[in-house]
Amino acid sequence: MTTQPEASPAKEAFLQRIRQALGRAEPATSPPDHPPLKTNLVRQEEKLRTIRAKVEARRERNAERLAENATKVGWHVHRVETHDEAAAAVAAIAAGLHARNVVRTAEDCFRQADYDGPLRRARAAPIILASGRNRSRDSLKATAFDADLGVTGVSWAIAETASCVIVPRRGVARLASLAPPVYVAIVGIEQILETLDDYFATVRLEHMKGRGHVAAYANFISGPSRTADIEQTLTVGVHGPGVVHMLIVGRE
Amino acid sequence: MAAKAAAFKRSSAVAVRNPKLQQTLHHVVRHFTEARDAAVASEFPPETWEQMRERASSIKLQTLLNLDFYLDMVDRNVRRNGGHVHFAADAAEANRIVLDIAKRNAVKRVIKSKSMVSEEMRLNPTLEAEGIVPVETDLGEYIIQLAKETPFHIIAPAMHKTRQDVSRLFQDWLRSAPTDDIKTLCAIARNALRQQFATADMGVSGANFVVAETGTVVLVTNEGNGRMTTSVPRVHVALAGMERVIPAIEDVALFLRLLPRSATGQRITSYNSFISGPRRASDEDGPEEFHLVLVDNGRLNLLKDERLREALKCIRCGACLNVCPVYQKTGGHAYGWVYPGPIGAIVTPAMNGFARGADLPFASTLCGACKDVCPVKIDIPKLLLDLRPEAARRTGTWAERLLMRRWVDMMRARESLERSSRLARLMQRPLSREGVIRRSRLPLLAAWTQARDFPAVAEKSFARRWRDGLSRAEP
Amino acid sequence: MARHRPRSGRSQPSPRRVKAALCVTCLIDQFFPHVGEAAVKVLRRLDVDVSFPEQQTCCGQIAFNGGYRAEATAVARRFLDIFAGDDYVVVPSGSCASMIKVFYAELFQGDEATLERVRQLVARTYEFTEFLTEVLEVDDVGAKFSGSVTYHDGCHALRELRIKQGPRALVAAVEGAELREMEASEACCGFGGLFSVKFPEVSGAILDEKLRHVEATGARAVVTTDCGCVMHMAGAMRRRALDTRALHIAELLAGEGG
Repeated sequence: MTTQPEASPAKEAFLQRIRQALGRAEPATSPPDHPPLKTNLVRQEEKLRTIRAKVEARRERNAERLAENATKVGWHVHRVETHDEAAAAVAAIAAGLHARNVVRTAEDCFRQADYDGPLRRARAAPIILASGRNRSRDSLKATAFDADLGVTGVSWAIAETASCVIVPRRGVARLASLAPPVYVAIVGIEQILETLDDYFATVRLEHMKGRGHVAAYANFISGPSRTADIEQTLTVGVHGPGVVHMLIVGRE
Repeated sequence: MAAKAAAFKRSSAVAVRNPKLQQTLHHVVRHFTEARDAAVASEFPPETWEQMRERASSIKLQTLLNLDFYLDMVDRNVRRNGGHVHFAADAAEANRIVLDIAKRNAVKRVIKSKSMVSEEMRLNPTLEAEGIVPVETDLGEYIIQLAKETPFHIIAPAMHKTRQDVSRLFQDWLRSAPTDDIKTLCAIARNALRQQFATADMGVSGANFVVAETGTVVLVTNEGNGRMTTSVPRVHVALAGMERVIPAIEDVALFLRLLPRSATGQRITSYNSFISGPRRASDEDGPEEFHLVLVDNGRLNLLKDERLREALKCIRCGACLNVCPVYQKTGGHAYGWVYPGPIGAIVTPAMNGFARGADLPFASTLCGACKDVCPVKIDIPKLLLDLRPEAARRTGTWAERLLMRRWVDMMRARESLERSSRLARLMQRPLSREGVIRRSRLPLLAAWTQARDFPAVAEKSFARRWRDGLSRAEP
Repeated sequence: MARHRPRSGRSQPSPRRVKAALCVTCLIDQFFPHVGEAAVKVLRRLDVDVSFPEQQTCCGQIAFNGGYRAEATAVARRFLDIFAGDDYVVVPSGSCASMIKVFYAELFQGDEATLERVRQLVARTYEFTEFLTEVLEVDDVGAKFSGSVTYHDGCHALRELRIKQGPRALVAAVEGAELREMEASEACCGFGGLFSVKFPEVSGAILDEKLRHVEATGARAVVTTDCGCVMHMAGAMRRRALDTRALHIAELLAGEGG
């Protein structure tokens, strides 16, 4: 990735006006004291070890908490033991919808079991949403907008907020979890974090280890797309999926 | 100009007399305040919530005090992520920047997710004048755009529209069949906007937070239009007031706990997007170009004032609107600009150098309900009081000035107060009956007696009664 | 458990009577002198040595809230002189007490010498009900009333001084009075000083809602800590010939029946 060139002189003038407003003539010589910016790599790794140990020790509890919170905000939560069971559950959802156009991502969870087989048998063979070799940007868009079901894994789930964290990358298109009216997230029990703090500490560590590189996009999905813009009446599925399923795979 | 500068008096009186509006307001603010109170009280002991507010307030204030440092950090990190950063001193410059980007990319259609800064800039008319079609995609904003109005509430822009209003708008603009069903109305909007998402060349969004450490724009939304806007078109432009910055990625957790609870009473919104530059080469989708436009547009007026800069801590949750007795009766349009309610009464005159909203600092009973709910602890009544001397110079009537001058003379000594009250007792004789004045044409008194009787000055003041024996009375 | 007023014969640690200077507020002085008398009566019943610095006029809040800082400063300085000394200062108004305890520090920003005087004054200044419940530590002041009463939280008393339970305890301890909470007792009545005449339509609309809540309780009287709110509510009640009365809490606490 290339760093974009230095911005225009407008920036210097802009910052200089701010300094004047704050009663300082010069740029600050030392960075302001903000503890979350000061933790070094060693300390951050230490912090993450603690988080990982905590999360591991409380896996089942966090899974229960995730399921409970998710149900409250409108997820349909399914707890299954194995990915084979999860694959069957996905196929059952597709069958229930009479889905014909199913899209999925290409990521680790789909290698844990044969997800496509049961879907094919439900006459809902999935298309892998990717712009790769022979698909253009526009055709990816068209495929996603035509789909009636989207299935993806997650990078993390957060019990506190019932959030699935989607980090788009090779194999994981943004639209897979956004465009179809019904969406299924497959969450491995080992991917569940307890709190928002756990997640952002993780991001920071990745950011530090990657020398400042960070994913272009990350998204929390915490329930169905919703609006209350007409008469404060809650309505789901306005732009994103109106029906969302969370499959939590594994039990401790 | 004068009319625009001090328009609240008239617009608020009109709003109060609109029964339909009153009904909607009553329903809506109740809905929001109850949801907020429940979301806060059910999950946190009061001390914990207080500590969170305290921390958020302190982070925002420290960031403002080092804003040059953090904006530089934002700039470097967004560029490292492959994005572009632009600095706009005012609305005109910000519009120019967006137009340039649009023209360079031969953009014909722009989809927008909610951005208050774009309202400040009046971006939509600017785009339209250049033949570019802007389409609002937040359902409320979309309704407002079709109705050619401005947002009514920071987070519920179309709260004043009934389902019938919306149905009529959709019939006119989308040729849809009339319906009273809200779900159907949402589906109509979904389908109409799908076409727009699929064909737009550029997406324009706001920014709830800009994280300096990672160069990340954070969007907090419920509908999914924010994700569409920032994912589907080839170009994404994020507009952010320069005060949106927070320093560290780990600070986000705190603000994500405060914002949705304060705004809608949700623990979290359905979607939170973290945008750090354009798509990477290996990504399957996402915009190829990312621009962040950091906008001043009068914020400096607040920043340079040691006290007013506190208002820049605002995270635009709208909680102060919902609890404000004045907003509850007037709604958002009466405030005349982009930001209504108590926070609007501060930032509108301050950002616009009093060319707008000069009477807004007075549009408050100073009841203080706003400061108790503010998630970043802005002392709104105190800031309104700070703005009042300037507001009085700009909007005070001759009667008020005269009264104040007389008042200070009167209060300078007991004797002058007594002289004045003797005079008042004489003057009120033809006006008062049974100890009250029911109607008067005198300035101020006329306003009071519109709906209330005014008490007559007592025949014997307390001080007189004290001298006449009360001082000696024993229990 | 109501805390009773000190009765004769009860041993006190200090033989000296509590001394309090009454700041009667300009509104009470000119329009509601009977409220001031009621406050004096209650304080004397509790064996307080009440004084009234006769040169007092106003705390300056009207000008301060109106944006007339120079005018407010002149009047506030005078106030500091008049209420110099060591006695408690008792103010039967949450709003005027807030002006002194909270906003004088704003008014005299940067003037260290005056701020020091302000701090001394603030330390011994109390809103009337606060003085009863916090300094005298009394809930039952020996008052009688017959009928139900609802309490309106005056905004400044509630949010600047955090006075909420004290006045309710005082009302509840009045013999024969039944405290009935109204919906949204913490909502503003729409007075707001100059606000009420600058935006009479909005002020009136806020007041309407308040009165609806008052009426819904069926209480005989609404009581509050401030004559601003009393004047506002009573003005509309009279205009509409309602049966409910608006009373300053001192009036209720001075009552001996009826």
